[in-house]
Order: sequence, then C-alpha cells, then structure tokens
Amino acid sequence: MSVGYQAVGWNPQKKIYDRVLAVGVILYLALFVGVGAAVNPNATAETLIIRAFGTGALLLLHVVLSIGPLCRIDRRFLPLLYNRRHLGVTMFGMGFVHGGFSLFQFHALGDVHPLVSLFTANSRYDSLAWFPFQPLGFGALVILFLMAATSHDFWLANLSAPVWKALHMLVYVAYAMLVGHVVLGVLQVETNPWLIGALAFGLIWIVGLHLFSGWKERALDREMSSLVRDGFVDVCAVDDIELDRAKIVTLSGERVAVFRYDGKVSAVSNACQHQNGPLGEGRVIDGCITCPWHGYQYRPDDGSSPPPFTEKVHTFDVRVRENRVLVNPTPHARGTRVEPAVIPAQCPGTAS
Amino acid sequence: MPWNRIMTNTKEDEFFVGYLPTAPPLMGARMRKVSVLLLAVALVSSAIFAWAFRELPAANFEFGIERTFVGTVVESPYPALFVRRPGTTQDLPSYSRYHLVNTGKFGAADAVRGWEGRVAALEGTLIFREGETMIELTAGSLREADGEVIHEGAEQSLGEHTLRGEIVDSKCFLGVMNPGNLKPHRACAARCISGGIPPVLCVRDKSGTAIYLLLVDVDGTAVNDAVLGFVAEPIEITGEVIRIGDQLALHADPTSYRPL
Repeated sequence: MSVGYQAVGWNPQKKIYDRVLAVGVILYLALFVGVGAAVNPNATAETLIIRAFGTGALLLLHVVLSIGPLCRIDRRFLPLLYNRRHLGVTMFGMGFVHGGFSLFQFHALGDVHPLVSLFTANSRYDSLAWFPFQPLGFGALVILFLMAATSHDFWLANLSAPVWKALHMLVYVAYAMLVGHVVLGVLQVETNPWLIGALAFGLIWIVGLHLFSGWKERALDREMSSLVRDGFVDVCAVDDIELDRAKIVTLSGERVAVFRYDGKVSAVSNACQHQNGPLGEGRVIDGCITCPWHGYQYRPDDGSSPPPFTEKVHTFDVRVRENRVLVNPTPHARGTRVEPAVIPAQCPGTAS
Repeated sequence: MPWNRIMTNTKEDEFFVGYLPTAPPLMGARMRKVSVLLLAVALVSSAIFAWAFRELPAANFEFGIERTFVGTVVESPYPALFVRRPGTTQDLPSYSRYHLVNTGKFGAADAVRGWEGRVAALEGTLIFREGETMIELTAGSLREADGEVIHEGAEQSLGEHTLRGEIVDSKCFLGVMNPGNLKPHRACAARCISGGIPPVLCVRDKSGTAIYLLLVDVDGTAVNDAVLGFVAEPIEITGEVIRIGDQLALHADPTSYRPL
C-alpha cells in the first residue's frame, strides 16, 4: 500500500526479514539436534526432532508476543512488527512439525484413530498432576493454524477488521494453553532448573511487558473533557504537535490522532483500518498519514486512502484558536472530508 | 550488549515504511544489531535447552534391520518365542525368551494364535534393554520350521510381595521410544497396552537397577485392558511373584492396584 499504487509483494525489507528468520530457525534446529545428540546419544531421532521444533516454536512465540508491547513502549522497534505475520506463520509451522511428529509417535498405528486417542488415551481430566497435556497443545495448534491461515490481508478484508482482530487475539489463549501443555507435560519429568527457569522467565517477561506497555499508555486514554468551547475540546497547543506527526488524545472514549502538516491541522480516528495500528504514531509522508505498522496511508482531510485503495477512517472537525488546537469529539462518517484548520501565520506551529 | 548501545543515537524523524526499498540508515543499523542479538539468544537458548534434558538410558530398537529367529512359540499370557541359547548356560536358562509384538501399537496375539508349543521361524526387528529382549514381528513371516521344541521351565513362586514402580508398555520402554515412560509417554503407553503390548511393572531397587515383572491376573491371564488407568503413574501392587526361567511375573488382581 502506497501512494505509488504498487501492490505490496515480497519486497526487499520482507526478504531481509525472512532471510534472518530462516537463518535463525535453521541454526536453532541444527544446534539443538547436534547438542542433543552429543549429550544424549540414546535419544531417538524422533525425540530430538519433537523437542527441537517444540522448544523452537515456543521461543519464537515469545518473540512474536513481545514485538507488540515493545513497539508500544518504544516505536523504534517498529521494523520488527512490519513482517510479524511471517514470524507467526513460521512459528505455527514449527509447532505443526512438533505436533505432527508427536501425534504420529504417541497416537498413530494403534487401535483407535489418532485424534480420538489424543483425547482419550489419558483420561485423567479430574487430576491436575495427571491432566492430559497433549490436548492443550492440540488446542493451541488449532488456534495458531486459524491465525496462520487467515494471516493474509485477503482474510482481514473478508472477515472485517474487528472479527479478524478478535480471532488473532486468541494468540493469548494459545499461549496460556501452551504454558499449560509444557508445565503439565514435559516439566513433570524434566526438572532441570534451566528449563523451568526459562519458561518462568518467558511467562514473566510476556506478562510484565504487556502490563508495562498498558501502564505506559494509560495516559493516552485519559479523557480530555475539561476545556470545552462550543462543543470543541481544547486538546493541546499547536506547537505541542511535531511537524508531520500527531498527538493522540481520547475524546468520547475514542482515540483521535491530531496531525500537524503543511501549515494545517486535521484529526482522524487513531485506528488504522488495516490492523488497528496507531495512526497517531505514524507520519505524514507525501501528503498522506502513514501508519507505522504496515504503511497504510490516508489523506488527512478526508481520512480516505488514495485511489485505488478504499480504506477509510473517521474524521473530526478541528479549529485552531489562539495557538490552541480544538477538536469536536463527534466523529464524521468514515471518509468524510473536513476542512483542515489552517494555522495562522503568527502561530509558532506554522514553522515547517 | 548494553541496551543504550542498541537503541540510542536515533534521529526522531526517522520513520520506517516496510514497503520502501531501504530502511532509514540509523534504524537499519539498529535492526541489524537487534537481529544479531536475537540470533544469539536463539542459539544460546537452543544449546541450553538441548543440554538440559535428562540423560536417557540405553534402549535399543534395530529399526531397519531384520533378523531371522527360530524357536518355540508361546501364546499366553503374552506371545513369546523361546530360542535355544548357544554354548554353555550354567547360570542361565537354556533358552532366551523374546517377547513377540506386532508393528505399530499392537501385540502379536492374533499372529501367533494356534502356534502354542510349535517350532517356527520368523523375521523381525530386535528390541532390547538391560537383558530384556523383544521382537517386532514382520507381518506374514511366521512359518513352520524344524527344530527342537523348548519347554518352559517349572514355575517357581517367590512368595507374595508388595512392589512399587511404574507400569510401562514393554515395547516402547525396551527401546522403540526413548524416553518411553513417565507422564509425557502416558498416552502412548495406554495406546500400546490397549493394543496388546505386554504391560510390565518396572521396579527399581535402591541401587537404581531395574527389575521387570510381567503383569498378569491372579489366574495368569493377560490384564491389558484392566491396567490402562494406571500406566505411567507411581503405583503399588501386591501379588505373588513367580519366576519362570529368567522371567518374573507378578500375579495380582488389577482392582487391588494402588496408585501412590
């Protein structure tokens, strides 16, 4: 997506991203199998493969889950987010190999169907210590499959952004199931502190990172309602907004991105129509608000993507009075053109 | 690598757009450092994880190697083949007992039905661990053979004992899988025993040496279905221990098994 109207394909940035990812995965698996075979020569090849892919997938899931909050905390991590879906699909692929080998190893070639065996071979659902951990892994894999299968923007467009987003938030359910899968499974036997410590550290890291990023963002959700003039809310001074950047404010419960550009001020909904990316953390490039996540673009005055693209976001009436920016909290329909507020010449914000 | 070395010295106006040909220079340089850091974390984690798993004992499955065996077939309580031991056997029985199982998670009861006490030749793959031996029977390979019929030795009761251990499926435990016991293997063990693989109580003495006892009912019959709910858990079983040759069997009513 760009004002150049070029379809986004396997562009150079994605190629670099994927090369690094492929190298990392190959080295991880090779090293695991090599070290595993050296220190544990009696382990079967299947065991090493199951362990290598399982641990690798879980490690990669931690990376995937870390990127979102890291970008909320510091936008300089945003390049990691751009191609995160390839990380996710790769992680699912590794999990699928782990699950497939395990399903075959432990449940195939028996007297019942492997999937029936998966849920019935261990029937101790009444016991925490003996709880069947494999169905937890299977459930997580189903979620990760649905996410991987719908990761393409085709599904985002057809499922609608809210449904797609809700589906992909299930990754946290999958993560919880995988922690249970490991704790109730292999860690019942493998008691090396490094393994237990790694999982505990990962869990604390993920939970802590999300809590910290949420705490850091709570200021954004503080409702701005104290200074109202004629239905307009005083959100900031003009020069509080960097040139070609935005200030994010919360009005009537919705985050609004107020942009200063080209001697003007415009306000649009903060949520990108693509994946709810924070438009207010984006930048005006070539006259268009550019989402920091995947580069989706919108014109500031009407909240519409330039043709032939069709994404639209809500727009808001804006005024500039006495070097203060005022925004009407009532949104216009998506794509409605609103005259930008012109910054008077004497205002500091006119400097560009 | 210090955090500030990675994340500082960045112009605030740098902005990354993924579909543009190149990343902003400082941002690109920083991402290269982040990539190296992530790769290092992955490699160190990989080595630690691979090293940290517990050491596994020697257990062998000669996958892909098929051998020919000639001996006397036993049907019950679990299929076995008695093969004459070559050479002197002063302290050992004059025959070796090979448990017989089918491929996959199936016992060989159907394959050997009607062969009790008959001399047969067969092809199979050897499975062995700590003196216990098993053959995975190659389908359709069982056939008549000439030779001496080997009679199982007399039963010797070792009295009633209360033993603590773990019920394992003998095929995986002896070598088809490694590890082939404890909770991660519970579902597989249940599947194997359900399919007819002989259930074995593995008991370890104070020195850690394993003793294997075939589990049978008080009347000496197979107990596969009755033990499915107990596999892979610590368990206490009280029953009569009987030795036949070098094989120990524990005769006990499965309803009396006591999970610990």
